[in-house]
Amino acid sequence: MISLIEPIQLQDSLGDDGILFVRNNSIFDTMVKIPLLVASMIIVAALLPIQSSFSSPRDLDLIIYPDGSTHVSTKIDVDPFLTNYELNLFGSSIDNLVVVGNDEFLLESDIVENTIIIQTFGSSMINIDYDIHDLVSKQGRFWTFSLDSPSDFTLLLPKNSAIIGMTNLPINMEIVNDQNQLTFSSGQTEIDYFFSTNTISNPIPDTENKIDYFLFAIISGIVVITAISIGIIIHKKQKNVKTVEPIQIIQKNQVANIETIFKLKPDLREDDKELVKFIFNNNGEALESELRKKFLQPRTTMWRAVKRLEREGIITIEKKDLQNLVKLRKNMEENE
Amino acid sequence: MKKLALFAIIVLIFGTVSPSLVNHAYGQNDPSILLRIAVQADKQIINQFNKIYENEIPNNINILYDKGHRAVKSLDQSLSNNDIEKAKQDFLLAMNSFMQISRIISQSSEKSVEVNVSVKSNQTLESKIDRLEKFVQTLESISTKHKIDQNKDKFTKAYSLIKEIRNQINSNQNPSENTNELNNLINSIKKEIRNSIAEKQSNAIKNFFEKFLVQIDQKLMEAKDLGRDQIKIDKSNELILEIRELLSKNQINDAKKVYSELQVVLKDIGISVKIT
Repeated sequence: MISLIEPIQLQDSLGDDGILFVRNNSIFDTMVKIPLLVASMIIVAALLPIQSSFSSPRDLDLIIYPDGSTHVSTKIDVDPFLTNYELNLFGSSIDNLVVVGNDEFLLESDIVENTIIIQTFGSSMINIDYDIHDLVSKQGRFWTFSLDSPSDFTLLLPKNSAIIGMTNLPINMEIVNDQNQLTFSSGQTEIDYFFSTNTISNPIPDTENKIDYFLFAIISGIVVITAISIGIIIHKKQKNVKTVEPIQIIQKNQVANIETIFKLKPDLREDDKELVKFIFNNNGEALESELRKKFLQPRTTMWRAVKRLEREGIITIEKKDLQNLVKLRKNMEENE
Repeated sequence: MKKLALFAIIVLIFGTVSPSLVNHAYGQNDPSILLRIAVQADKQIINQFNKIYENEIPNNINILYDKGHRAVKSLDQSLSNNDIEKAKQDFLLAMNSFMQISRIISQSSEKSVEVNVSVKSNQTLESKIDRLEKFVQTLESISTKHKIDQNKDKFTKAYSLIKEIRNQINSNQNPSENTNELNNLINSIKKEIRNSIAEKQSNAIKNFFEKFLVQIDQKLMEAKDLGRDQIKIDKSNELILEIRELLSKNQINDAKKVYSELQVVLKDIGISVKIT
């Protein structure tokens, strides 16, 4: 990305003798189409609140069963370039362990006392599910849940359980299937509870419902605004496209002959020629990602190569499903 | 177009501001929850007193209860005054007092509480089945994602067994036979998942290694230029070759073992195995 910006910034100092032919005052029009900019801004605006409201780098959910055993479910972002990930479990009596990586691949793991070593091998996110018997103790008829959590967590208490003591402030409380679900912030939390036939129900506070509607209204509003804006853009575009359409049809199957391309561009690099050949044999177009896979090139190297070919006037770059679609130019000879 | 751009900017500003509105609303939700929990705990403590002590509540417990009850009242008052910090303190004071009461009660009444063995074992069995059901659901999600049709009937059978075991628990029958069958079925499901995704998983690991080894190659060259221990660099290169050979033969587990050796040698050379 830096290499893209640098030449433009240097343009002033290069003056008329500079290599680049892009003018500062026209760069905006040349590189960015206004409708695209507008659409991008709308998408960013729509995504901002959603990301902020729901995304979390690490999730931790616990369910306490009536016998005091606890199901732990955690989602962790890991470095995809590491082979192993080490995590401290909340105890050593572990059952029903499942560790899943990207694409729901089961990952291999070893447990050494309270530590689990997971072979992540390229996974950027892992889900760990297990049952543990170390978090809840019982004295008489009273049960005590105790956890020193590294992150915020939710805790679903068993049915018919009544809370009678707590050492941490809950962030939130909901009723899920007639069970209390509390959300706590990180740190030491102890909760005393017991099972009662006369459990007093905890209906969800009215304020929470209002907030849910409010949140829903915000998201809905943004979605509607985005949809309307996209509709306007598409409508405007369609007006412009109508006149261009016949030309596009005529230009089909007029991809420049590969030998002609090489004849017109005798100084092309060998690796660029290979790229052109591949695109030509692929019906004159290919996604940049396909090129990267085919030629095993890093993203930036392939991007530079594609931009080089674009500068040479051999290809055009279009956006397709948020990807770069590279097309051989149909009227190269005319341009030349 | 200008109007549209202006409109987009308004949306952008709204989008930036709205998360803070949402968070603010979420924070405001706390206080009423605190009061609800505290009031519930207070009532439960009274219920316990009625059951255990009738009218003869020990003095130390009475003092603690008064402290907790006053804190609940103060919490209500603090919320009315919109004094959130005071409300939080009141909540913690009340819950801490009730917690102390419950611990004193549990210690003093431990001997007198009769534990119904049947109820206790049923509770344990029910929890075990709940846990197994959750485990089956997790495996089903993985199996569905990978379209492993061979497991479909096994999941149907597993859920049917879970239902049957629950019925047996409720009617005080011994569910051990069905529980064993369920455990065997779960093992079979796990095995089927591992076998079915082995090839895809191997390819993913191979791709990972391929990227990783290229980076290590480069780092070894840099280490050579820096004059690091040549014998260890040579050893690393040998191990890299061995890993590549094992990967080409699809011997993933052996490749992992050799990779562990490589990690040790790289560490000796002073090369971080993390790609930057």
